[in-house]
Amino acid sequence: MPIESGEAIARIAKALKHKPGALLPILQEIQEQLGHIPSEAVPIVASELNLTRAEVHGVVSFYHDFRSEPPGRHVIRICQAESCQAMGSAVLTAFAKTHLGIDFHETTADAAFSLEPVYCLGNCACSPAMAVGKEVYGRMTPQRFQEVLQEVAGKSE
Amino acid sequence: MDVQRLVKMANDIASFFEAEPDTSKGARGAADHLKNFWDPRMRRQLLSYLDEQGGAGLKSIVLEALRQHRLEIAGQQPPDR
Amino acid sequence: MHAIDDIDYGTPRKVSDTMVTLQVDGSAVTVPAGSSILYAAQAAGRRIPKLCATDSLEAFGSCRLCLVEIQGRRGYPASCTTPVEEGMRVRTQTPRLADLRRGIMELYISDHPLDCLTCPANGHCELQDMAGAVGLREVRYGYDGANHLEVPKDESNPYFTFDPSKCIVCSRCVRACAEVQGTFALTIDGRGFASKVSPGQRESFMDSECVSCGACVQACPTATLMENSVYQMGQPDRAVVTTCAYCGVGCSFKAEVKGDQVVRMVPNKDGHANHGHSCVKGRFAFGYTTHPDRILKPMLRKSIDEPWKEVSWNDAIGYVAGEFKRIQAGHGSDSIGAITSSRCTNEETFLVQKLVRAAFGNNNVDTCARVCHSPTGYGLKTTLGTSAGTQAFDSVEKAGVIVVIGASPTDGHPVFASRMKRRLREGAKLIVVDPRAIDLVRTPPGIEAACHLQLQPGTNVALINSLAHVVVTEGLANEAFALERCEPADYQKWKAFVSQQTYAPEQVEQVTGVPAAQIRQAARLYATGGNAAIYYGLGVTEHSQGSTMVIGMANLAMVTGNLGREGVGVNPLRGQNNVQGACDMGSFPHELSGYRHISDAGVRGLFEKEWNVTLNPEPGLRIPNMFDAALDGSFKAIYIQGEDFAQSDPNTQHVESALRAMECVVVQDLFLNETAKFAHVFLPGSTFLEKDGTFTNAERRIQRVRKVMPPMAGLADWEITMAIANAMGYSMHYDHPSEIMDEIARLTPTLRGVSFEKLDRLGSIQWPCNDNAPEGTPTMHVGQFVRGKGKFTMTEYVATEERTSRKYPLILTTGRILSQYNVGAQTRRTGNVAWHQEDVLEIHAHDAEQRGIADDAKVSVASRAGNVVLTARISDRIQPGVVYTTFHHPVSGTNVITTDNSDWATNCPEYKVTAVEVSPVARHSEWQRQHRDFTARQQALLKERETIEA
Repeated sequence: MPIESGEAIARIAKALKHKPGALLPILQEIQEQLGHIPSEAVPIVASELNLTRAEVHGVVSFYHDFRSEPPGRHVIRICQAESCQAMGSAVLTAFAKTHLGIDFHETTADAAFSLEPVYCLGNCACSPAMAVGKEVYGRMTPQRFQEVLQEVAGKSE
Repeated sequence: MDVQRLVKMANDIASFFEAEPDTSKGARGAADHLKNFWDPRMRRQLLSYLDEQGGAGLKSIVLEALRQHRLEIAGQQPPDR
Repeated sequence: MHAIDDIDYGTPRKVSDTMVTLQVDGSAVTVPAGSSILYAAQAAGRRIPKLCATDSLEAFGSCRLCLVEIQGRRGYPASCTTPVEEGMRVRTQTPRLADLRRGIMELYISDHPLDCLTCPANGHCELQDMAGAVGLREVRYGYDGANHLEVPKDESNPYFTFDPSKCIVCSRCVRACAEVQGTFALTIDGRGFASKVSPGQRESFMDSECVSCGACVQACPTATLMENSVYQMGQPDRAVVTTCAYCGVGCSFKAEVKGDQVVRMVPNKDGHANHGHSCVKGRFAFGYTTHPDRILKPMLRKSIDEPWKEVSWNDAIGYVAGEFKRIQAGHGSDSIGAITSSRCTNEETFLVQKLVRAAFGNNNVDTCARVCHSPTGYGLKTTLGTSAGTQAFDSVEKAGVIVVIGASPTDGHPVFASRMKRRLREGAKLIVVDPRAIDLVRTPPGIEAACHLQLQPGTNVALINSLAHVVVTEGLANEAFALERCEPADYQKWKAFVSQQTYAPEQVEQVTGVPAAQIRQAARLYATGGNAAIYYGLGVTEHSQGSTMVIGMANLAMVTGNLGREGVGVNPLRGQNNVQGACDMGSFPHELSGYRHISDAGVRGLFEKEWNVTLNPEPGLRIPNMFDAALDGSFKAIYIQGEDFAQSDPNTQHVESALRAMECVVVQDLFLNETAKFAHVFLPGSTFLEKDGTFTNAERRIQRVRKVMPPMAGLADWEITMAIANAMGYSMHYDHPSEIMDEIARLTPTLRGVSFEKLDRLGSIQWPCNDNAPEGTPTMHVGQFVRGKGKFTMTEYVATEERTSRKYPLILTTGRILSQYNVGAQTRRTGNVAWHQEDVLEIHAHDAEQRGIADDAKVSVASRAGNVVLTARISDRIQPGVVYTTFHHPVSGTNVITTDNSDWATNCPEYKVTAVEVSPVARHSEWQRQHRDFTARQQALLKERETIEA
């Protein structure tokens, strides 16, 4: 981890430590600024809040939204909730994994895409749904999946 | 024993009892302490040091204790000496 | 896993004035309000299946196995999380419950290795028991689904193995680490199916914050966390309740045994000092008891330059008696003496002092308390009337303010520290007085001292007087208490004394280095924060004003009325398992058992009648006096039972010269320790596992030590002492240590009601125990002080003569570490070396930089007494100007540099203040080189010994 990140983490922890229930806001802010919560952040946050490393690690690992590794440039989240499952999200998920060559919570070797499960994007009427970054897509099929990927990859170039 | 060690130990005791404003009470306290906690051979050696070398280096409260309470400090002679 | 013969009630026992009666499967049962249904069912003898519940932990409700049916309620509530209610009707076994439980067990077993026959928990596994209890016959899900069976083991800890493949994620280990030990080193990583137990951040136990107390191992219902000794030896077949032989907390243990071999030690849930908890030393570090270094035959030699010669017990005892008599005939009866051991039992200690007073005919007996808590004895006796701490450990649960002075409980008294931490997390305030930032100053999660008075070593008395000054001058004194309970004239005199401007915080700041505002804040908190309890250690006593400081603390407690009830008091944290007992037994040269002065003719008369001798009415030599007398030729022989003063006592060179000057040094010990290298006779002693007796812990609690195996060398320590007495012509005859305790009780008013029979019945007894208090006394000085009126005593601050100078500009202070115990003779011979392989010198970055010292560099530490070489560790726990080390390893020679300054009243050495200079070097000091050579020569003389057949 670069020294600057360590300094940023310490600064965030110091700035927010007096909030009630400060741990979550601190972790959120670290992820916001660094894109993820490196394991080196844990002892810094723990020491600032007078918690053990185990306690902080437990919280980081409990919430799927906290990532310990830097994400790809695009985070793809495929809905696994009831409505989407009924409309074929399992097939979509299997295709996505094969197509990208990664499992959930992993990032492609070229750091372009990370794949995550999500439980409801509020788009049940258009199941199965997925999101890339903050953009939500409905009525997904393997075909549509490839198109969306090309589209976002094109945009980011 | 090394008499200088005894002198130091006696002076250490004195420095506690120096807090007592009434010096005769302080000397009483120091004398009792010597009698209650020191082996007689150490007490007698300290007395000889007073008698033979004038007790140089001993704090005044120790000197007073040794002079005022000499018999008690000397204690009983062991039967086989 | 819990002890083999424990009944697990599932949830903790609750204390309540209200009792609740309910029906469990048709039987009425009455339990305290707040109890769980699970607890009530167990109390009624009904076993409800359970996995995540155990009675050392609060209910968690995750396994769903302990479901029950309650008349009039819907569903199947978990009996662990449901409190009892009056008139409740509970059914624990119904067809529906059986189905539900079997279904749950199927899920557990579908992801569990089916290797029961080769599993170390086989025969004592809760998961296996539950499968049996619910009648599991098949697992409909099969075993091919996703599972955790391939997760590798963590074998990093020397004492236990973590095998996650067997884990059912019940969280008992995580909760035990938090609730019982208070370390919070474990967590659940991830969630859902991915959940797994993780030390620290998904790391090994050894790399995590784990302190290896073993609470997790004890809590685990499967073989996931299992003692390596059980892997190696299998399940034990019986349990013997005994008392730990390490620190003064006095944890009660069940030694679980197979034949006469200890398989594991499990802290006793019914132990009154530890309530089922332990530390890494007590639970795991017992391997020294069977270490190959133990010497198991008596040995003799005429000179310390000769090889040893093994001899029979008869020859050894005969030789000792002959030499002692010869020396007394030639040099007078005062020319020999003995040391009792704080590691031995009360009965053994009592016999050694009896040997000295009755058979030697003098009072040259002393004990290692001389070098640790002798000032406690003097100070508390002077002010309150008895030489012991005022409270039970349980009292801390009622404290509002906890003051820790010169002690590091998480290192030295870890099991009590866990209880202290629990109380602090409940909201009690903490004041720490210590030159070093001990763990408690800031300990995650959440513990932070309200004040850390980081004073210069050697200025305790100035500080305590200043705290008293603030209390008195700011009108915070409890005048009613002081005037009613204490001598009024002394009180007035003392008030005037501490009110002097000299002790105003603004003045004392100059001496102690503690900002005046902090002193005022601490004094106000102590005086006004509700019940305030002082806990202290050797940082108080091991000073030239050790006794004065003890008096000062008692004064402060008296002036604020913090004595005579629960939650308050002045409490020494005693270092050794039986240092309280050794003192109680009359191990000091000036007093008989029960702290009665040898000059008291009435008391002497009792002993003279019982022992059939005339006793010498004058006090004998103390340990340092014995060394001085040895050097001047008037002290020639010594019998040392279980003490290693060549390593533990200050100014090593002085001690070594004294030992060399004696004609007959008899060491009775387990190992050829540093002192034994100067001995002429070695008598092999026995460990606490090899004999019966009692230990008395720091809260005056007498507990049984029970024999688990026969003495490896043939005789228990008390039998050796008895043999020496008989060989010297003084008849002693006891068939069992209980007879010695009966004699102690006959002769000692504070122990009159103590007997082995009563100890077996009550589990433990806190003295005084007599007709006034037949079951003992948890809290002292209730209503009135033991001495009648409390005695305020003036405590003038006198700076130590050990000062810094241009040549020795730093102050060295010493302490302890969790994994090692004192001189390390035991713990260095166990797996505990994994945590502490050498003593290091902690030095502040500022001082290190000035001297060109890098982290991990070898440095010379030189004092006026000597010099040694240690490894430097840069640390911010200490302030610039102060350095710190431990003395667990003989080669460190820490006591080569400590001086022979001592407490004015008791000659307790001033270990805590030595002026030193630290400089980078390349090799060991001259003393260390000589020590290495001498040790090698002595080891060779041991190896070359002439042996005899057993």
